[in-house]
Amino acid sequence: MAELRTWDPTVTSVLASAEACDRVGDLPGACRVSPGEVALVGDVSEAAVAAAVVRLDPDAVVLDVSDGWGAHSLDGPGSREAFARLSELELPTAGSLVGEVAGVGVRILVDGDRIDLLVPAMVSAHVRDRIETDCAELLR
Amino acid sequence: MTLEIACPNCGARPHTEFAFGGEERPHVSPDVATDFERVFYPSNAEGPQRERWYHVLGCRSWFVVTRDTRTNRIG
Amino acid sequence: MTPGPLRFEGREVPVLDGDTVASALFRSGVRTFSRSLKGHRRRGLYCGTGECPNCTVTVDGVPGVRSCITPAAGGMRVERARGWPSAEHDLLHVADLAHPLMPVGFYLKTFIRPRFAWRMAERVIRRATGSGPLPADAPATRTTSRHVRCETIVVGAGIAGLTAALEAAAGGERVLLCDEFAIGSRLAPGPTLDAVRALETHARATPAIEILERYAALGLFDGPTVPLAGPDELVQVRADRVVVATGATESHQLFPGNDLPGVWLGRAASAMAALHGVAPGRRVVVVASTTEGVEHLQALVAAGARVVAALVPAAFVDEVPHEAEAIVDGELVEARGHGRLRSVIVRELGERRRIACDALVLSTGLGPRDELARMAVNEPVRLMGDVALEADEPALGGGYLCLCEDVALHDAEQAWAEGFRSAEILKRYTTATMGPCQGAMCGRALACFARGRAEAADAGSGARTTARPPLRPVALQTLAAPVHEVIEKRTGLHDTHVAAGATLGWSSGWKRPISYGDPADEYRAVRERVGLMDVGTLGRFLIAGRDATTLAGAVFAGRVEDLEPGRSRYVLALDDGGYVVDDGLLCALENGSYLLTSTTGGAERMDARLREWAERLGLHVHVLDRTSELGAILVAGPRARDLVGGLTDDPIDAASLPYPGHRELTVAGVPCRAIRNGFVGELAFELHHPRSNGPRLWTSLRRAGLDLGIAPFGLAALELLRMEKGHVYLGQDTLPDDTPAKLGLARAVDMTKPWFVGKAALERLAVLPSTRRLAGLVFEGAADGAGLRGAPLTIGAAVVGRVTSAERSPVLDRAIGLGWIRGGRDGFPSELRAGNAVARVVPTPFYDPEGTRIRG
Repeated sequence: MAELRTWDPTVTSVLASAEACDRVGDLPGACRVSPGEVALVGDVSEAAVAAAVVRLDPDAVVLDVSDGWGAHSLDGPGSREAFARLSELELPTAGSLVGEVAGVGVRILVDGDRIDLLVPAMVSAHVRDRIETDCAELLR
Repeated sequence: MTLEIACPNCGARPHTEFAFGGEERPHVSPDVATDFERVFYPSNAEGPQRERWYHVLGCRSWFVVTRDTRTNRIG
Repeated sequence: MTPGPLRFEGREVPVLDGDTVASALFRSGVRTFSRSLKGHRRRGLYCGTGECPNCTVTVDGVPGVRSCITPAAGGMRVERARGWPSAEHDLLHVADLAHPLMPVGFYLKTFIRPRFAWRMAERVIRRATGSGPLPADAPATRTTSRHVRCETIVVGAGIAGLTAALEAAAGGERVLLCDEFAIGSRLAPGPTLDAVRALETHARATPAIEILERYAALGLFDGPTVPLAGPDELVQVRADRVVVATGATESHQLFPGNDLPGVWLGRAASAMAALHGVAPGRRVVVVASTTEGVEHLQALVAAGARVVAALVPAAFVDEVPHEAEAIVDGELVEARGHGRLRSVIVRELGERRRIACDALVLSTGLGPRDELARMAVNEPVRLMGDVALEADEPALGGGYLCLCEDVALHDAEQAWAEGFRSAEILKRYTTATMGPCQGAMCGRALACFARGRAEAADAGSGARTTARPPLRPVALQTLAAPVHEVIEKRTGLHDTHVAAGATLGWSSGWKRPISYGDPADEYRAVRERVGLMDVGTLGRFLIAGRDATTLAGAVFAGRVEDLEPGRSRYVLALDDGGYVVDDGLLCALENGSYLLTSTTGGAERMDARLREWAERLGLHVHVLDRTSELGAILVAGPRARDLVGGLTDDPIDAASLPYPGHRELTVAGVPCRAIRNGFVGELAFELHHPRSNGPRLWTSLRRAGLDLGIAPFGLAALELLRMEKGHVYLGQDTLPDDTPAKLGLARAVDMTKPWFVGKAALERLAVLPSTRRLAGLVFEGAADGAGLRGAPLTIGAAVVGRVTSAERSPVLDRAIGLGWIRGGRDGFPSELRAGNAVARVVPTPFYDPEGTRIRG
């Protein structure tokens, strides 16, 4: 049985050239949304990130956007089975990707049995409701 | 039930993650006289067609693919 | 399996181990399982494999259950569906006698006049036909849906399917193997079952093979994708390759009397005898033209059935058990009986001969179950096993063609005579193949019939009719499993509104307050004092980077280069045809970047537009969607400045925060960007703030506003407030081909700009006379907007426009509205009618035309 936990993530958005994004794309908690965008989940020094990035792209935007996101995590055996009820996406063993889950665009961070779903705050309640309904008997 | 589209950033994904942006066409015309045709008369080819797609539920990038309008095969 | 008897129409029927509902009922003496659709003819067990409609009964209130493939369980409530007063004694059988009065397609030609005749006839016809009423008290259960990805999907787990699955797995593929029944469950003990069990053991021991039993494939779609309907879930399988190993059915033969109870297909009869221990009849005649048929004959005899005669080809004569009389190369001519089989007529050596019997078992050929494969257009599909066989052509001697829809062969002949001359059109005219079996039994016969009569040149007319999903009857709740209801978006103030007792409603995908009580009170609060509205649904975008101004200039029709930090400007987005698609407010920020607000409904479109043009023009620019991240509260009314001023130390007088403009403010401790906004026609500040601070900010404003007479207001009040200013709602007041000029928004266009999206179109359209415009309207003779909204605007009998919005305005003390009107060479009309009311065209805004209240 997998566990479902809803929490408020700390998210820093980095919008910069591909080269500048490469700088921060491998940091822990990084989700490379696109060549020009990285989402950093977790506590980061906004200033340090900005410094690293702005050197390569003076126009870069580095912003704390935590308010814009909600997070729902599926953790434990059966988490992938539950995920299969919410999305057509195939998950890697570990890594990040962006795609459709429960009908909305979601940023996903995977590590083994733990699946973190970062969803826009305006649809966070919807996604939570969808997980609870569709995966009811798979969750603790 | 799903056509798969290869997003240059995210790889092959079901078409439900995308929005269709129409046939690829130049965004300006040489003159006002030919502008009407550019806007309202797409070539609407039977066969391979270059078209614009937007990965709205993914990376939110725009890109162009070639899709065969007869077979729905992409690429 | 629950032990105990089942209940059948008021009596108990014992259930033995391994029984299906059909075998339990048959053993207890039931011979009529259903009544046919039109003629209410008695129908008995026939195919035994869940394909024909004959055994369909209602179980536990659920109609459409195929009793021959449904395991029986104690406590089940079983009833037959059609028949009045009962299926056994059905008075509606007179319909069959009236068959000559009701030729094929008769309902398309009768009951046309007088018109009331059809309404009456329809009610009667509905009662008499149909599969049975739906259960009124069945609880709504939820079926779940999941996705599976594999390299090969194998549909059908017989010998061919199991073999194909094992081969694919050996090749390193992930395989999904499915079957609509439990593996081997339809086979009697024997060498075939042994072979299946051996392969099954091997397959179950292979981890790469996922086996789904009792999952029916519904169709083949793009992908290829095969949806499987299971007991309580829908599995959408996306594969690279599809193997169809669904086997073949025994052919449905057409001869007079072919639908009498007592006529069986071989598999049904031998399963009843060998698996369930009940002989299909006391005197059985078998017609066996295939190897399988001979196996069924032998199984029947071995199970103790009395086979009085067996019609076989010469090659099989040695296989006929000595108990039965072998008739070599005989021909089945007719089955006779009233309501059940009493005898058959066979032709032997040119002579007709009558054989008394009560069961006729037919194994005369095979028809591949190839519907799934025939749905493929470009998908890689392989057929393995019996499904790949060439179909045998059924003989067309008479009797019933389509059992589901009660279409006789002579109905098809009559339709042909009337000029319907291809399988596809015969299907539509006679409704053959359109019943629950979807042509599984009769599709081949229909195509054969057309092919036999068509001219040689007309090859297409004899083609099989298109195979369509669903392949098996499926409940709507199963199909609905992966469908998510509308995704509900919420602002950070959602719980606050609920707690305040607001009536919420849908608006562009968001749940928004319509009103907190009385919209009229809310309106008055905004006009006279101060009101509060949650506008956190607006699209908000950060546009940054060295090409930010270039992007803004390209996607909007007006001038933006001269917009200075701290100032805002109303912007219009046009499409390539010059038509208005979106609007918004562009605010220039300190560092050359912009905050753009867009309409609630247009936010996603605006996001796509900004990104599209950044990419197409190769611009160095960053777009960040801040819609979720920022809440927004509109403080509007003559006392708005008093309210906000009391909660902030930052200056918000007209000089420090002019209209149109914006600045950063801290209000009640919450960091905001305040944007001056004129949408409701009063002094107003739109406070954009971090979403999580929303409730705190809202509560502080409400509390501080108590003395000022503050009230929250919702969409209902907003509608009237904006209408008195003549402000347009895109999509409600606009038509898809509205240019800025038609909307009176030409001021938002700067034609001196070298280029913007839609510019060339506006140049082209500029030379054409203006023939339509959106106008403000005042109505005489209408109490309020109801009845006016959407009403045509007329001059005499001619329709020259339409009312797009209308409300009663307290300020003008009459109904006002917006509508589009057509004009001509002489200009635009100034007075029209809207139903019973008179509509006068007036300039907008209706209220405070100079805008002094907004600019304060």
